[in-house]
Amino acid sequence: MHWIARASFAAIALIFVSAPLARAQGPKIAQVKTASGQVTIVRDGANLPAKVGDFLYEKDVIQTGGDGAIGITFTDNTAMSTGPNSEVALEEYRFDSSNFNGAMLTDMRKGTLAMVSGDIARSSPGAMKVKTPTAILGVRGTRFAVQVQGEH
Amino acid sequence: MRRVILALTLLLSLSACASRQALFTVLPNPDGSAGAITVDDGKNAVVLDKPYAASEIVKGAAQPIAMDDAQVQQIFGSALAARPILPSHFRLYFENDTDIMTPDSERLYKSVFDEIKERPVYEVEVVGHTDTTGELKHNQELSLTRAGAIREKLIHDGLDPKSISIAGRGPLDPRVKTADNVPEPLNRRVEITVR
Repeated sequence: MHWIARASFAAIALIFVSAPLARAQGPKIAQVKTASGQVTIVRDGANLPAKVGDFLYEKDVIQTGGDGAIGITFTDNTAMSTGPNSEVALEEYRFDSSNFNGAMLTDMRKGTLAMVSGDIARSSPGAMKVKTPTAILGVRGTRFAVQVQGEH
Repeated sequence: MRRVILALTLLLSLSACASRQALFTVLPNPDGSAGAITVDDGKNAVVLDKPYAASEIVKGAAQPIAMDDAQVQQIFGSALAARPILPSHFRLYFENDTDIMTPDSERLYKSVFDEIKERPVYEVEVVGHTDTTGELKHNQELSLTRAGAIREKLIHDGLDPKSISIAGRGPLDPRVKTADNVPEPLNRRVEITVR
């Protein structure tokens, strides 16, 4: 193979290999409605301060400091809020507003979480779950709260 | 002696708290009813379906625990205070084959607008619908025209265009199921979600 052809083949291969690493942002899944104190969104390894009006995406991780609290509403109308010293990952989220089908997996790592479920939980049992280090919560509806103790 | 007992009690309650790995509780709806959650610790799954029905995880196993409003406020007060204003839903109705609202809906529109303005940030979804009279293609256009008319009105009254999305479903998602070519005022509508 000619070296130019070989080099361009390598370049193309590199593009294909590196494409999955640069994560596509995907659709907006939720919006920040309330925020107070220290609240950080971890996205692709970057720490972003959360502000009211910001949009959130699948795989975002919410972290609150000792004075932090945040409230968000998802596109399926689920409301989620978190108190201080908390860490919550928006692990998986899919929602089709034309037929209400979807799935939502929240990874609750530590702190406090309160939720009012929306259309995903209504669509089918088992579609909405909250994972903690010690147990998995299945949500049939509607209002509930979860506390996970951090390591001592 | 009393002091020793007090110290022991304190120690016990502290260790009980420290050994709790997680806590799950159902919260009541405003009308006093409750939904349901299941808690699965990997061995057993328990269903919690009453207001304040709760389960805690100790040494990896779920066990029932008594919970009440005071304890919920103590543990979850900050999280509950941060809860967003919950989404609201509205329906506005239209005159036959037009994007003109009925007089009742004209009046209701004002409360829709006030409800949106109350929120620090808002997203508004407007979905138009028709009854089954007329051609499918015409009705799909009409449903989108209805949604668009409401969007224009909301923007005219001062809402942020970027926060309003519209869709049209024609006769495909009726409020009242009918045969084809049946006039039905309840199906000539837009459904608005505000969150």
